[in-house]
Amino acid sequence: MRTRATKTQRRKALEGFMFVSPFVVGTLAFFLYPVIFSLYISFGEYTIVKEASTFEFLGWANYLNAFVEDTTFTTIFKTVVTDSLINTPLIVVFSLIIAIFLNKNFPGRGFFRTVYFLPFLLGTGYVMSILLGMDVGEEAMNMARGILLPEGVREYLGTTFTAMVETFLGRITYVFWRSGVPIILFLSGLQNINVSLYESAKVDGATEWEMLWKITLPMVSPIMLLVIVYVVIDSFSDTGNAMVTYFFEQAFRKQDFSYSAAISWIYFAFILLFVGLIFAVMKGFIHSEQSEPRRKKVRT
Amino acid sequence: MKKSVALPARMAQLKEGKLFQWYSANLSRGQIFVKLFIYVFLSVVAFVFVYPFLYMVITSTKSVNDLYDLSVNWIPRSFHKENYTYAWKMLGYPRHFLISAFLTGAGVTLKVLCCSFIGYGFARYKFFGKNLLFFMAILSIIMPVQTILLPQYLIFANLQWTGSYLPLLVPQIFGYGLKGGLFIFLFRQFFLNLPTSLEEAARIDGCGSFKTFWRVALPTVRTSVVVTVVLAMVWHWNDYYEPSIYLNNAQMLPLPSMLPQVKAAYDSLFGGAIDATASNAGALVSEGTLMAAIFLVVLPVLIVYAFLQKKFMQGIERSGLGGD
Repeated sequence: MRTRATKTQRRKALEGFMFVSPFVVGTLAFFLYPVIFSLYISFGEYTIVKEASTFEFLGWANYLNAFVEDTTFTTIFKTVVTDSLINTPLIVVFSLIIAIFLNKNFPGRGFFRTVYFLPFLLGTGYVMSILLGMDVGEEAMNMARGILLPEGVREYLGTTFTAMVETFLGRITYVFWRSGVPIILFLSGLQNINVSLYESAKVDGATEWEMLWKITLPMVSPIMLLVIVYVVIDSFSDTGNAMVTYFFEQAFRKQDFSYSAAISWIYFAFILLFVGLIFAVMKGFIHSEQSEPRRKKVRT
Repeated sequence: MKKSVALPARMAQLKEGKLFQWYSANLSRGQIFVKLFIYVFLSVVAFVFVYPFLYMVITSTKSVNDLYDLSVNWIPRSFHKENYTYAWKMLGYPRHFLISAFLTGAGVTLKVLCCSFIGYGFARYKFFGKNLLFFMAILSIIMPVQTILLPQYLIFANLQWTGSYLPLLVPQIFGYGLKGGLFIFLFRQFFLNLPTSLEEAARIDGCGSFKTFWRVALPTVRTSVVVTVVLAMVWHWNDYYEPSIYLNNAQMLPLPSMLPQVKAAYDSLFGGAIDATASNAGALVSEGTLMAAIFLVVLPVLIVYAFLQKKFMQGIERSGLGGD
């Protein structure tokens, strides 16, 4: 009996392995080898002259240089990190609000859904950088600013405050253009919330506001983690990102492959740490999927 | 007199309208203001979303005179179709469109076939090293492309694949390439949300593991597959980064990778000198031309999305992208 069980288990494991076998090959050839190679050359000086490559081991020199000698790296690193730290919560909160609105049933919903997805269709590549680079985004904000903050009000409030508001608005354009996929993810999460939860809450006399905090947010929290991680990774690894262009410059323009590898590893280590931190912090807030359906059954 | 007769009839007409019915069904008087606020909020935000797109479309129809005439802001005096003919020529549209279409088509097909296959293995089976392997998939999502770009380039250079489309296509068969790990993750998620009962029934009826996947599991999640198709299509179409690294011949580049050329011609014109490429095309690259070029590049995606939109939204609503 026992041997048979292990036999079918073994057969199942083999089948599973068959399914992922392309990925094993891919991981070895296109991922693990490049990763190890890049890590290896980051500890030295790797040069290619006419097809022949040489390598000289230097230990941590490249990593030290990044912080000691290269002032450009640290400044870019700081701005990219602070930008991401400020933008990520803004994108997450904004896209959640929009998704909650779009999830309600009202005439014209389809139109708004298309509109909010437009930047994603246009803007994942070079197009966005041209359009935003031509200050088209800022112009849009200037016009929207007129609607949100009339000129008279701005003068009344004084320059420091309006300057603050304006940097905030400038950031918001970026936030808007980045929130296509997060809105989609949140919409999908909201759709999966069981309607009976809301209905029973309504019977108990809960207001919309209470339902938002007691039902919607807890139920959407697993998606929230996914969105946060997606936004963080998206903003850190975006090809238009200043840090990422700097790696490319170091490697392909200055031919300093080792240094480029070293700083990109510092950067990657930071992202990994950051994502790990998010998981650790969010763990306490995430609503576990297992407990809720059981409680629901008891109630109804 | 006439008016007072017409008004109640008009009101009755309004009452039959969808909008009015919706209002009367859903709203008490206080709530109207809340809904109104939502509409205004959504509209203002929508305006900021649409503005760059409108700007692009409108500017692309403007002649140079209109561009510098401050009195012409939203409505150009005439439709300046030369912008489009110049942009068409500069982009080498027919050729590079076909290249882009090929790369996108191949990309979407490979993503859906290969990543679903791999994702199914992760969702349904237990085997030695599964967690480690899945960790690799996550790691490949998190890692910036540039970290491993050089070794990857060297691999493809050693295989003498650079200058062909192979570096862009072959990794995709193995679940890598453009955002491959992300698609594996998505498909795993789709299959995890699918009840196993259907597949178990198929197994009892004698289906092999591959047949169960191909005939039962994959068709069952087809609403979710549309989501991945749209995402893959948009990402592949707009991808200009890796193609411009591996394809050293300008004749082989996909459409979005041609945009930097137009932009460069535009920039050099702004600097005062007429760029060689611009004069070759026999055109002055104005902002209108640049915007026309951008519009021509994004237009195919917009058209295809318009067809897939309804299915896409259905897929979003039905598929559990998150969870677990």
